[in-house]
This record gives sequence, C-alpha cells and structure tokens, in this order.
Amino acid sequence: MYEALSCQVIEISRGTMHDGPGLRTTVFLKGCPLRCLWCQNPEGMSAAQGVWWEERKCIRCLACVEACPSGALWDNETGIHRDRGKCTLCGACVEACPSQAMTFTGQEWSLDDLVRAVLKDRDYYEAFGGGVTVSGGEPLSQHRFVGQFFRRLREAGVHTALDTCGSAPAAALDAVLPYTDHVLFDIKILDPALHQQFTGQSNGVILQNLMAVAETMRQNHWGRTLSEGHALRLWIRTPLIPDATATVDNIAAIARFIHQNLRDVVERWELCAFNSACKRKYDKLGLTWTYEDYPLMDQHSIDALERVALAAGIPREKLVVSGLVAKASA
Amino acid sequence: MGTVLLDERVADTAPGGRPIADLAPHSGVVMKVPPKFVQSPRIQILAQRSRELAISGKRRLGTEDMPLGDHACWIHIGPFPQLDELPSRANGYEATGESWGRDYAFLVDHFPVDIHRDERIVGEIHWEMHMVRQYVWPDSVREVGKWAAELGASGYSSGHTCPDLAIGLSQGWGGILERIKESREKYVRLDNQPKASYLYGLQMICESVIGFIQRHAEKALELAQAETDPWQKQTYQRIAECCAHIAVNAPRTYYEGVQWIHFAVIMDRVVGHGNGYGRLDLYLIDLYRKSRAAGELSDEEAREYLSEMFLKLRGQFFSLGGRDAELKDATNEMSFVVLEAYDLIGDYNNLGVMWHPGINRDFYNYACDVLARHGESIPVLVNYDLMREAELRSGVPEEDAWKVVYSGCQWFCIPGKEFCDQDVNSINLISPMKRTIAAAIDRGITDFESFYALFDEELTLTARALREWKNSQYELLGSLWPEMYTSMNSHGPIERGIDMVDNRGVDYQYTSVNILGIPNVADAFHAIRKLVFEEQRYTLAEVKEATETNWAGREPMRQRFLNQGKFGNDLDEVDAVFVRITESLARILGSMVNLRGQEFRASLFHFQGHVTPDAIGATPDGRLAHEYLAHGINPQVGRATEGLLATANSIAKVDQRKFQGGTMQIELQPRFFDGKEEIWKYVRDFTEVFFKKGGIQVNLNIMDLKKLQDAMDHPENPDYQNIIVRVTGYASRFICLPRSYQKEFVERMNYEGF
Repeated sequence: MYEALSCQVIEISRGTMHDGPGLRTTVFLKGCPLRCLWCQNPEGMSAAQGVWWEERKCIRCLACVEACPSGALWDNETGIHRDRGKCTLCGACVEACPSQAMTFTGQEWSLDDLVRAVLKDRDYYEAFGGGVTVSGGEPLSQHRFVGQFFRRLREAGVHTALDTCGSAPAAALDAVLPYTDHVLFDIKILDPALHQQFTGQSNGVILQNLMAVAETMRQNHWGRTLSEGHALRLWIRTPLIPDATATVDNIAAIARFIHQNLRDVVERWELCAFNSACKRKYDKLGLTWTYEDYPLMDQHSIDALERVALAAGIPREKLVVSGLVAKASA
Repeated sequence: MGTVLLDERVADTAPGGRPIADLAPHSGVVMKVPPKFVQSPRIQILAQRSRELAISGKRRLGTEDMPLGDHACWIHIGPFPQLDELPSRANGYEATGESWGRDYAFLVDHFPVDIHRDERIVGEIHWEMHMVRQYVWPDSVREVGKWAAELGASGYSSGHTCPDLAIGLSQGWGGILERIKESREKYVRLDNQPKASYLYGLQMICESVIGFIQRHAEKALELAQAETDPWQKQTYQRIAECCAHIAVNAPRTYYEGVQWIHFAVIMDRVVGHGNGYGRLDLYLIDLYRKSRAAGELSDEEAREYLSEMFLKLRGQFFSLGGRDAELKDATNEMSFVVLEAYDLIGDYNNLGVMWHPGINRDFYNYACDVLARHGESIPVLVNYDLMREAELRSGVPEEDAWKVVYSGCQWFCIPGKEFCDQDVNSINLISPMKRTIAAAIDRGITDFESFYALFDEELTLTARALREWKNSQYELLGSLWPEMYTSMNSHGPIERGIDMVDNRGVDYQYTSVNILGIPNVADAFHAIRKLVFEEQRYTLAEVKEATETNWAGREPMRQRFLNQGKFGNDLDEVDAVFVRITESLARILGSMVNLRGQEFRASLFHFQGHVTPDAIGATPDGRLAHEYLAHGINPQVGRATEGLLATANSIAKVDQRKFQGGTMQIELQPRFFDGKEEIWKYVRDFTEVFFKKGGIQVNLNIMDLKKLQDAMDHPENPDYQNIIVRVTGYASRFICLPRSYQKEFVERMNYEGF
C-alpha cells in the first residue's frame, strides 16, 4: 500500500525540452526556502496557498468583489486588489470569477492523479529519451511526496529528474535520491555572502548537499549503477542574472569549484541566460520585480563568461548555454 | 500563339551545364534552406521562371479579389481565343459525354505548344474546361440543394478522385485508344447507343491528347533544326524523339516516363478539378531501374527531371512509401529520388509520405529531415495502415485496399477505382446543434443524455438531407460533368461504357462528407452539460438567446462557457464528447447508402469552411460570431493550452479507421527548437508516437510568426516571395493568399512547446 499523499503544484508543463534529457513533463511544486531576487516562479516561493489575479483575463464584472465574504477585495482603475490581512483564502472569489482571471496559485494533486497525469505522455518519453522532472519552487520542500512520486514513476519505467536549488535538509535528499535518475543542481553564486544577499540564504547547506550527491554517485561507481540498477547523472545549472550571478568573478569561482571538486561526476554545466518573461507573474501577484526592465543578455557578454569557464578547465563539451540572447543589432 | 511571359534576361541566358554569372543579381529570391543538393544553373533558370509566374499572379487560383493561392497548374495568358467556336457553344449544348468529349478535344486541339529553352520536360496548359463549358444544374436539383443547405448539408460534386496512371504507363495512349475503340464497336454492335456515344466522346479526348503530344514532337523538331547551340539543339531533338514515341506508345525510359506522367497530369488538370495522382515511386521504379542499368541516367538527372515536372505542375498530390500487395514496405529507390527532387527546389508541392511501422528507416528519416529543413509542410506525413483499414472497413477487398494512396488535402483513395466525391460535400454541425438546442427547449429536456439523443436525431435529419441532395446530383452528374479524361486511366469506365462518376462506372463510390465544427460542438456540449444540466447556472433558453444575440450584454456568461474544459487539452471528459460526436457521425452516415448503393463516410476535416464564420453566428462554446470555427479536427485556436502533446493525445482518441481522414495541423515557430540540433529527430519521434497512438495525418509548418505578420503588410519584400505554407489541405505561397486566409494562418500559430 502506498501512503495517500498529496502535494501542492503550481504548474504541470508538458513536452518540455529544457529540463533534463529528451522530451519531458515538468511538475512545478510549491514552496521554496530561497528568496532569489530574480525568481522565475514567484508564485512557487510560498508553500501556502495563495490567490492571484490576471488583468488580461479580467472582464471587470466585479463578481469577485461581490462574492468576497471578508470584504478583502476592491477595484479601482488599476485593477482588482486584495487585502492579504483580511483574505481568508476561502476561494469564493475564485468560484465567482467567470473568466479564470482570479485563481489559486497552487492546486492540490493526489499522488495517484499526478502519476496518472504524467503517464499520459509516456510513449513520448520513451521515443525521445525523456521522462518526468520535478521543479519548483523547491521540490525537496515536499520531499516525502517527491520520493514516492519518483518511486511510482520508476516502477512504471519512467526516467526521473530532480531540479533542485539544493537548499534542503540532508534527509530530504536521502528520501528522493534513491529514486532519481538525473539531478539538475543549481549553483547560483559561490561566494556565501553574495549568496546570502541575493537569495536570502548562505550556500553552505547547498554545497554540502551537492557534495553528497557527488558522493552518492561515486559510491555507486559513476557510470555504472545505483542499487536499483540506475545510473545517476548530474547536470549543474547556473542562471545568468545580470549584475548578480553573471559576473566574471562568480562564473570563474563556480568553474573552479566544479573543476576541483566535481569534474568526475558532472556531465554538463548549463548557463541559463536570463529573460524577463515571468514579469507577468509578478504583475498577477501584485508585486514589483527588481529585474522587470532588464534586457536580454547579449552574445558578447555570454561569450566572455564562456571563456572564463573554459579557462578554469571546464571542457568545451560539458559547457552549454541556453535561453534567449539579444540579437547583435538590438 | 500564346507564349508565356518570361523575364527576357532569363530566357536568353545560356543553357544548362554552364555557370550563369549574372543569375543571382536579378533572381531576387533564393531558397533560404540549408541545401542538401546544389541546383544546376539550368534548374536555377527553370525555378526562377516558375517563381516569377507564380508571384506575378499567372498561376492564381480564385479571382483577383479573392485569390485562393498560386497553385494553378495552368498559366494565365488571357481568355480562350476560339471560345465562340467551341462545339457546345457554336452547335448547341448537350448534356452528354459525347458533347463533353467534343469540347475537350476542341479545346486541346487549339492549345498552343510551349517549349522553352533549357527545358527537358515540356508541356503547359492555359485553359480549363470549367472556363469554357457550361456546368449548370437544373432548378429542380438546386431546390433540393437549398433545402439541404438550410439543414446544414451542402456541396456540388466536382472531381476529387485519383486515376491509376500505371494503366497508361504500361499501355500508352495508343493502347488506351484501342480499348476505347474496341469497346465502342461492341456497344455499337449491341445497339447500346448511350454507351457507344460516351465512348465516342472518350475516343475524341484520347485522340486530342495524342495529337497534343505529337505537336510537341513536331515543334521540338522545328526548333532543333533552327538551333545553333549544340546543347540546346540536342535537347530539342531529345524532346522530339521522346514526344514522338510517347504520344502513342508506352514510355521506354525513365525520362520518357516522367514526360509521360507530366502530360498525363496536365491533361487531367484541363478538366479543372482537384485530383491526386497516385504513388509516384511505384509508377516510376521499373523505368528508373531499367535506365540506371542501361547507364543512361545519372542521380542528378533522375532528380532534375522530377524537379522540372514539379516546377511546371505546381506540385500536385503524389504519394510515397506505404506497403505493397504483400503488405511489405513499398519504399524503393524512387521514393528517395522524388523527395530529393523537391529538396532540390523547395517551393510549392503536395507530396505525401505514407508511414507505417515497417517503413524504411532511412527514408522516413530523410522525409522528416526534408520537412524540418524546409518547414513548409512538405511532405505531409500520413498513417498508411489506418488509411488501408478505413478502406477495408468500408468494404474494399484486401486485393485493392493495399493500393490506397494519400490523394488530396486529408483524403485517400484507391487509384482508378474510387469516385467518392472527396472534399466537396459538407455537413456543418453547427446547424443540427442549433436545432437540438431549440428542440430541447420545446421538449423541456433536463439532462444531457436526452439532449444528446435529440442531437442524434437532428444529425440524422441533416445526413438524410445530404443524401437526397447528393442523389439528386448523382442522377445527372454523369451527363452534366463526367470525369472522362480521368476515366481513361481508371478500371472499368472504358469496358463498361460508364463514366467513373456515373453509377457503377468504377467499383468504389462511397460518398465522402467533410464535417465542419466538431471541436466547437464538442466544446459547446461539454459547457452545456456542466453549466446547464449539472450546475443549472443557466437555462437552455438563455443559451439560445445569448448565442443568437452574439452574447450581447452577457459577457460574464460567455466567459463562463468559454472557460469550461476544451477539446485539445487531453481532458478525458471533454475529449469523450468529441469522440462521441465522431462515433455518431460514423454510425449515422455509415447506415445510409447513396444511389450507387454505397455508404456515406465522414471526413474529419474542412478545407476552408472555418474561415467564413459570418453566417454561422455565435456558439455556446463561448465563440463570438466573427471568430473562425475550429479547423477540421484541430482545437479552436487559442483553446489548446497544454501544449502539442496534449492536443495530439486528444486527437488520437478518435478511431480514424471509421473516417476519411482528419489532419492534425501544427504550426511551430523556429524558436520552438532554439538550441536544439537535428530537429528532424523531433519531427520523426513525435509523428511516430502520434501515429502509433492512432493519428492519421500531420501537416507541419515551421514558420517565423513575425516574418509572416510583416509579409502581410509588405508582400513586395524579396525575403517574403518564397514562403510556402500549408493552408489547410493544400499548400500555397503565403503572399498569394487573401488577407483573411493570411490572418487565420497567423493567428493559429499557437504551440509554444511540445
């Protein structure tokens, strides 16, 4: 018998091509211990349920304002506003909204339902050498669920990938890693003080966890098998955030760290170029975002960072740049 | 005589085999696709000539105000000069095959002969029978049509079949003519005047075709005699020899085979209907192997002959791959050569690759590579086994079912044996849906099952109206507008003395019916079930009033209907409604027979009905009156929010063996594949899984949306001259489409990711 587990999901994205090998379904879970200033999924930061409002879909019928039993909603020319203090998250506004402009930020999914949902694309995972990735938020914040979820997927023969920021108790990692085929591990900033400044936490635990992943791989003879017959693979990911992570010093430091400590286990280091597509999400949450006016990175800056990484000893074939880059003329 | 307007500089450039220094500066547009093969200077000249004809409107279909594309096989040079002397105009019209044949022969006998420098494949046409001969239905038939249209059923028969060119390739026009004469003599002897008269019409047509090809031989000989350039002189001589032989005889070499097929197709296009032409790789394989073995054909020549033919024909529907009579993979060397010939020139075409699990891997890989590199939905990928099973299910025996071929937009048929009125008839499902709502209000229906039962009744009414309408046409079709030319390369008409469109002229005469608006009705029914019957938030009377007034003053209600689950998102509950409607269609249409005693079959497709929504009005799926309806079996634009795989899964839930095709139409932007290499592998892996799950056809355009939007406003920009898109079932040059079609195309680009 399996436990009747459930989790809070912010989004299920099918057919993703950038969250691990092949074609995948990525499940974004709610709740994250970090507070990265550039966070691309701000609705996933808080583990608690929330309500957000999308201007584009709103027809200003004010059914939500009328339906709210706590008087927490009001409207003016800039949209519908919510008093977080008064709101009890009862959902009356969500129910009243005819156009899905007012919605919950998270949906509760049972383990069974989620397994069933992601298995719908199983034939495509097989054909494309893909599988299922959990991301977030921070999936390890719901590690009991993720462990069981991966266990079920593995029983079904589906490849599993964990996309983690690394900030979690060691026990969380222990619960998930045995059923994980692939780890996508973020190293955002190597300098602990800067890490604290940009993400709200130092990176001591994160790097410890990363070393633990590496140790697991080594103990299980990298390239051979884990106890259940699966090789564990590791990709490092670094978001390239202007003035924060995308500095020559930081990339050089991460490159040295990988080269010195992880070169036997890291298969790929991916530099993910920044984009501001998630501004819409900050708008929906009624938040302002530090990075909303930041342009796309240009090829020149990315080339410079690549050179730094290569100079530190990272092999060319392990270094991958992804994401949108500004056109030279722009 | 009518010569085609050409750019003088191009026409006067050096012949093939020599580099042409100044081609690039005035060639204007170039193929912006990573090339696999390099175009010879000769092919560059011919491609440029073909493009100029298309862009200058000389191959326009439709009218100047409402162009439907640039894929006409004929080249505009003005009206037919001898129009008043046409026998049916000069001597009186008769609705008979003999009169039809006499007109056809007169028209062809007055065709100019066009042979251009640098060409090896020759033959052009400038007029169609539709332009010269009347095709008017009597009022009694049209009255039936009006009544049927009110019930949502429509469509005038016009061609849309597929000849079996293997007949003429093996017998030659002379062989066909002998069979016509023999059969005619038999019916004269037996005093069957109508059949003898029909066969006389066929005889005149066949003789005019032979004469037309012979005139090419004569003209080429004249040109050769006057020519001083040795290469060009030799080329004219070869054309003369080839045409002199194939005018009467079966082709002996690969070159003659391609030229024979070219004439066979253009003379079919003279009729003016949308036919397919069969399996080009099977037609040509024997001649190809023979010419290769004789050492008279290089790889490059094999490709170029077909490229030339494609440039002149504007493509046409040919198919490749599939299985043979033993159900083994039918892919052969020619399958590759045909795709290479397209790969060499890009541009307009309508090739179909018939996939099955055992298809030659290298060939399917190459097909996906061609599709991914050009991004213009060429080739179309179709699921051969499902097409074959659909034919078997209709009653076509095993010995014929394997011959099935993708023949047009979304449809398939048995070459030379099937006249099924593909792609011309339609049922607009919105009509029975509206009647269902009205009837349900009258009867006070309060549950979805009773509501759906009413829909079944109303759909039956529409289907019966279609049957009456089609039967009233079938009584007269063989005399009003026979498909006499196509009948010559079919199995039955000559010996039976019956045209293929007439009763029992060919063996398989099912009536195919395109269905418009299934996704809209499925979405509407799901919303009605939820909001009217389950939640009882609205009454059916409110739904009726809201849609009849285009939701005026009821935006919250419209949003509520719009925001229910929609087809195309892999939601089992909604998809089940969709599947249920398709099952109703298969059952109701399949239970009715036409005058020929054969079933009606639904096709889950509509070639353009979705872009003319005005008369239909708003619908309970939340659609406003001016918004386009869903395209065929594809979700309404903007409603598939879960990505391409989810939509593919929704579509694959339909049992395609019960239908006559239903295309998944995919428009992607190049950035979809940013940072990815070997895009063709994505195409291959996706389509193979989709087909294994039950999908029958994929049309894939990979187009830069910004470029298309800009091309709408700046069609003169050289960068935009050569963009080909698959509109629905057919491909066209984007800038040659009417604005409404362009707009619909641009708006439907909706997959951000798999």
